Amino acid sequence: MENLINELKLKIIDALNLDGMTPEDIDNNAPLFGDEGLGLDSIDVLELIVLLERNYGIRLDSPSKGKEVFQSVAVMAKYVAENRTK
Amino acid sequence: MKAVSIPSGTNLTALYRELVGDYPKFFKMDTLSKLGFLLTEMLLQGTEGRFTPREDRAVLVFSRNGSLANDINYAKRMEDFPSPALFVYTLPNIVAGEISIRNKYEGETSAYVLENYDRQLIESIVREAFQDRITRDAIVAWIDCRSDSEWTAQAWIETK
Repeated sequence: MENLINELKLKIIDALNLDGMTPEDIDNNAPLFGDEGLGLDSIDVLELIVLLERNYGIRLDSPSKGKEVFQSVAVMAKYVAENRTK
Repeated sequence: MKAVSIPSGTNLTALYRELVGDYPKFFKMDTLSKLGFLLTEMLLQGTEGRFTPREDRAVLVFSRNGSLANDINYAKRMEDFPSPALFVYTLPNIVAGEISIRNKYEGETSAYVLENYDRQLIESIVREAFQDRITRDAIVAWIDCRSDSEWTAQAWIETK
C-alpha cells in the first residue's frame, strides 16, 4: 500500500501541476481539499477523476463518490487498490 | 517607500520554503501568481494585524506580457488533456486575487497590461484608485513574466 500511496502522490503532483511539491509535502491522511491539507478545490476534482480513469480504469459516476474517495491520499489508495481494473 | 524585487531565474519554490512553507496553494499557482505572492510576503511579513480583513488597501498589478507564459503552458497541455488547474491561471488578474485571498483584502483589485513599463502611467492609475472614499493605500507591482524562468518582478506600497 505504501508504494501505491507514493505513486498516487507523484501522479497528483503531475496532474495538478504542483510545481516544486514533493511526495514528502503530502501527508497520507491530511484532507486533500480545503485549507487544512493540500488546498485543492472543486476545479481539481476533474483532474483527479481523469487521473483515476486513465491510470487505474476507475470511473466515478457521481460527485458524491468523489467526495468520499478524495478525502485523503490514504483513502484514495485504498479505493484504488479495491477497484482498479488495470 | 519600501520596495522589493525578485531577480529573474530565482528558485521560487526555495524562496517559498524559506519565507512561508505552510500555504500549499502556492504550488498550484502559475509563475505570475507565485511572483506576486512572494513579493507581497517580502513586503508584508512581520507587519502588525497582517491578516485582519480590510478593504482600504488596493492591489494593482501591471505587466507587459500578462499571463502569456501560463497561456503557452496551457496551450501545450491542450494537446493532451485541457487541464482546468492550468486554465484558471490564464488570466492576468488572477495574481491580484491570489494576493487578496492570502492577505484577506476585500477592496479594489486590478491588473493592467501596458505596452511597456511606464512609471508615470502607473502612478496616474494609482492616483485614480485613491479617488474613491475607501482606498487608503495600495500594493503596486510590476510583474512581467516572460517565461517560467525569466521575469521582472518588483512591488511597493503607495499611500494616499
